[in-house]
Amino acid sequence: MDFSLIAAAHAETAQQVAGAAPKMDPLHHFQVVNYIKIAPFGFDISISNSVVWMWIVVGVVYGLFRLAMRHPTLVPGRLQSVAEAGYLFVETMINEIIGHEGKKFFPIIFTLFFFVLFCNWTGLIPGSFTVTSQLIVTGTLALCIFAFSIFLGAYHHGWKFLGFFVPHGLPPALLPLMVPIEIISFLARPISLSVRLFANMTAGHTVLGVLFFFTATMAWFGAWLPFGFTVVFTGMEIFIGFIQAYIFTILTCVYINDSLHMH
Amino acid sequence: MIASAHASAGGAAASSGLPQFEPSVFGSQIFWTVVSFFLLMALLKKYVLPAIVNILDSRASRIAEDLQKAESARKEGERLLVNYQGQMVAARQMAAQTLEEARQDAIRHREAALEELNKELAKKKNAALVEIEQAKNKAMEEVRGAAVELSMLVAEKLIVKAINAEDANRMVQEAVKQLGEGGQASLH
Repeated sequence: MDFSLIAAAHAETAQQVAGAAPKMDPLHHFQVVNYIKIAPFGFDISISNSVVWMWIVVGVVYGLFRLAMRHPTLVPGRLQSVAEAGYLFVETMINEIIGHEGKKFFPIIFTLFFFVLFCNWTGLIPGSFTVTSQLIVTGTLALCIFAFSIFLGAYHHGWKFLGFFVPHGLPPALLPLMVPIEIISFLARPISLSVRLFANMTAGHTVLGVLFFFTATMAWFGAWLPFGFTVVFTGMEIFIGFIQAYIFTILTCVYINDSLHMH
Repeated sequence: MIASAHASAGGAAASSGLPQFEPSVFGSQIFWTVVSFFLLMALLKKYVLPAIVNILDSRASRIAEDLQKAESARKEGERLLVNYQGQMVAARQMAAQTLEEARQDAIRHREAALEELNKELAKKKNAALVEIEQAKNKAMEEVRGAAVELSMLVAEKLIVKAINAEDANRMVQEAVKQLGEGGQASLH
């Protein structure tokens, strides 16, 4: 008897079994697929699933608000009340953090909140794509906000804005230590802002992907357990989607406020 | 999600690490993120935010107006209440006055009636007294006449029987005495 041959046959069978079994890939959901390749002058503006879902978010947010404010009445209907509540929510946030000067940033912050919120929420629709799970998207937003806050600071305070890195009331001996720390923490802002949102979305959707995989592959008597968890987690993700949009927006307000008032 | 899970279960997709770190798709996403964001901002700023601001402002002014109206209505109500209370007091006073007048009137009427009644009664009493006096006089008159008649009858009888002087004297005395007593008694 050639044991090595039998062992090889066993290994082959095992491989076949493994190959036939479904493979789990919960990250597949985050794969950006280019639908139409467009690159005028070498500048890539291809249409991918990510881009299509950005457009959908723009359409949904704008469409919902337009529908809500189609025939605005003094006694609001349900949708109008929701639109007004959204408006007042953002207004309260700006008033509390920036104050009266924040009024001129209202459109930016309002758009930011609802763009991020609906990117987070539309990602929960089965078969959809979560735009905010792309680090490059959240990073673009965060870097724009960062650049905007620096521009605001320089515009309002000129070179004095550099005083932002010198904390008040510190003994001068500590300054060589504190100023680099302040600069690093300032530079970390866009990173923490973008990574927080991206990581939350990625983690939540990965968990959902794993649970759905189990639901789809387990026998019926075991499948109900992961399926039940998907229901709970979808509710969780709706909540997290809101919270992350809120945090993203509120930190933007804080950065703008810092640039205006330098604490 | 189920669909994607199944699709992945199908096979391929053996990339290592997160798909988000695939740099070939960065350029278009940066471009479209910026475009989408500013497109949404422009749309909201032009078509949505003014409508919301407008309706919120008009509601605020409407509420302020309504509050003012309510305040003036309250003041008007207070004024009317004071007015009404004054009228009530006046009416009550008038009613009390009328009542008092009526009471006085009634008292006066009653006194007048009483006086008249008293006069009437006095008149009737006087008339009755006069009548009684007359009747008494008339009765006395009749009694006296009867006494004379009787004494004449007695005297006649005595004379006819021719009694002695002693008896005759006694009888006359008695008769006269009796007459006197009877006359007195009949008067009372």
